[in-house]
Amino acid sequence: MGQVENTALSLANVSKAYGRVRALENLSFNVAEGRFFVLFGPSSVGKTTTLRTIAGLVTPDRGRVEIFGKDWTNQPIAGRGVSMVFQSFALYPHLTVYQNFAYPLVEEKVAKSEIDRRVRETAAMLRLDKKIDRKPNTLSGGEQQRVALGRSLIRRPKILLLDEPLTNLDAKLRHDMRAELKRLHRQFGLTIVYATPDELEALSMGEEIAVMRDGAIVQIGSPDELYEAPRDLYVAGKIGSPHMNIIQGRLAADGAALETSIGALPFARRLQTAQAGEAALVGIRPNDIRFAGGGERGLSASIAMLEPLGDVTVVSVETGGQTLRMVLPESAAAGLQPGQPAAVVLDPAKFHIFRASSGQVIA
Amino acid sequence: MASGVSFWERIGFRSGGGVGDAGWGRTLGVAIVSLIYFLPVLFIIFTAFKPQELALSVPPTLSPTSFFGLIPDQFVFSPTLENFGSVFSRVMTAGGAPEATGFDRFFFNSIVIATVSVLLALVLGTLASYGFSRYPLKGNDTYLFIILTTRMLPAIVVVIPIILMFRAVGLAGSYTGIILLYTAFNLAFTIWMMKSFFDELSTDVEDAARIDGSSETKVFLKICLPQVVAGLAATFVFGLILTWNEFLFALLLTGPDTRTVPVAMNQAVASGGRGTDWTLLAAIETLFLIPVFLVTFFLQDHLLRGVTFGTVKK
Repeated sequence: MGQVENTALSLANVSKAYGRVRALENLSFNVAEGRFFVLFGPSSVGKTTTLRTIAGLVTPDRGRVEIFGKDWTNQPIAGRGVSMVFQSFALYPHLTVYQNFAYPLVEEKVAKSEIDRRVRETAAMLRLDKKIDRKPNTLSGGEQQRVALGRSLIRRPKILLLDEPLTNLDAKLRHDMRAELKRLHRQFGLTIVYATPDELEALSMGEEIAVMRDGAIVQIGSPDELYEAPRDLYVAGKIGSPHMNIIQGRLAADGAALETSIGALPFARRLQTAQAGEAALVGIRPNDIRFAGGGERGLSASIAMLEPLGDVTVVSVETGGQTLRMVLPESAAAGLQPGQPAAVVLDPAKFHIFRASSGQVIA
Repeated sequence: MASGVSFWERIGFRSGGGVGDAGWGRTLGVAIVSLIYFLPVLFIIFTAFKPQELALSVPPTLSPTSFFGLIPDQFVFSPTLENFGSVFSRVMTAGGAPEATGFDRFFFNSIVIATVSVLLALVLGTLASYGFSRYPLKGNDTYLFIILTTRMLPAIVVVIPIILMFRAVGLAGSYTGIILLYTAFNLAFTIWMMKSFFDELSTDVEDAARIDGSSETKVFLKICLPQVVAGLAATFVFGLILTWNEFLFALLLTGPDTRTVPVAMNQAVASGGRGTDWTLLAAIETLFLIPVFLVTFFLQDHLLRGVTFGTVKK
């Protein structure tokens, strides 16, 4: 990065309602040129509507959509330099793979010889050269996916929109396609806006992730930022696997500890903006809990469940009616038995402290 | 006609004896039931080839050949083409010379009127149903219901006002009149049929075309229409059969020049006071079957997909 980045796409205060249903609520974000930008959130949260607004299929009620500095808010679809891969792939079922690829170029009135050259080049790149005369319904899911991708790339779009493109594929293919998409992104320097409900996809591919909730963006940041400093409970709960442990309690009088059912949890710093006695929550990642070392004082707990996941083991411990999950290397978890007593240490420097009323992080 | 099915396969001769997974038992069962259904049609076709005196013979003659003596002589007739000649030209008055009956004209009328009105309804109805499906109005369902009600009343109920209206504007007896009437009647059916086909299409595919740079016209012509070819074929054939067979309106609203075959058929056998000429009637009916048979035959692949469309969840 370092050099000055062009803004490829900019949405400012975009709102859209369908009758009483508010699909998008004051949506604002910028995507720098060449960036892999992820819209992340559960289904029907407004991801698809956002993509359709960028493509021009949806005209927003309010707000502004700019693509490379030009206002496209109320402009027609054509000419945006935006292409889109639909969740359903949306291949033209009556056309062959060749004709599917050629379609956008025919509509752009590209010369026949040039169309033929680019179709064959795209087919070769996506390893579809042997299937070029087949109709979409005779192709496998992965092949259909690649046709959809090829049809979007063949126009050499400035911005590529991907709407849950991997949802309809099986696990193995999904893994392969993630790598393939990252490779294409690097190869073409494309600006990509990628919508997904899958945390793994978001974190592994996104350079920048916008976490969405009820048609609005909750937080935008790099995967690290979202993981290290979630702005509220919603983001904290969505990012990170296994999920963050959440402990309820009330703030101590000095604002430097949380009184909980498992005892007082002292903070590493004094909170400035909180009131004594206020209901609050402490979140701590499973990686930030460890067993107490020799002579160290920890919370007394008992081991409730072990979930071996290969190189790591998720250990659930119970303390004062609260279940905490921790992630240990497989070697450290060896020999543990459910029911066995243990002492655990929660790293205060890694606490995420949230206000119970709003779910917002407390500064 | 997209598939590579040969002529012989098309008419039922499939490799492997054509039995497939069903087995001989079931195939035989279906064959027997089909034969029972087809028997009246077969009887009419045979009657068309019989000499006049054998038309109502008891026991009926059932076969044009004795199959090398397998069938007893009293069931066998010797086929003749005389009846087909009589359709177009025959002796009308005792001792007179053969006169032209005008049936060439009536067949021409039937073909032109049915084809034009069904095609017209197909064009208008497809456009209308695309509109109803993609750009619903306030009260869309009400409009669709009103359109359907035009087909709910029996023809006999509305025929008098229609005759009066046609007379008033001078459409009675003209090609334009009967074609417009049939178009209007086919339109309701076409709109309902085609709307269900358009409803089944994925709108994502259309949006993909919009993003690929297609105008709304091109989305309709290049994306939607090719996907409903089976529906167009099915609607065309059903509409054609309904119109081809229509009798009541044709009887009351066509003139001597625009008369269609069903009306002429009735008049050919009912006039003259010599009793019904059954073999002549059978010959007209046999000729009358041919166009419908041909159209159904050539569109059968699309037709099957058309009538089973939407019954299987993708």
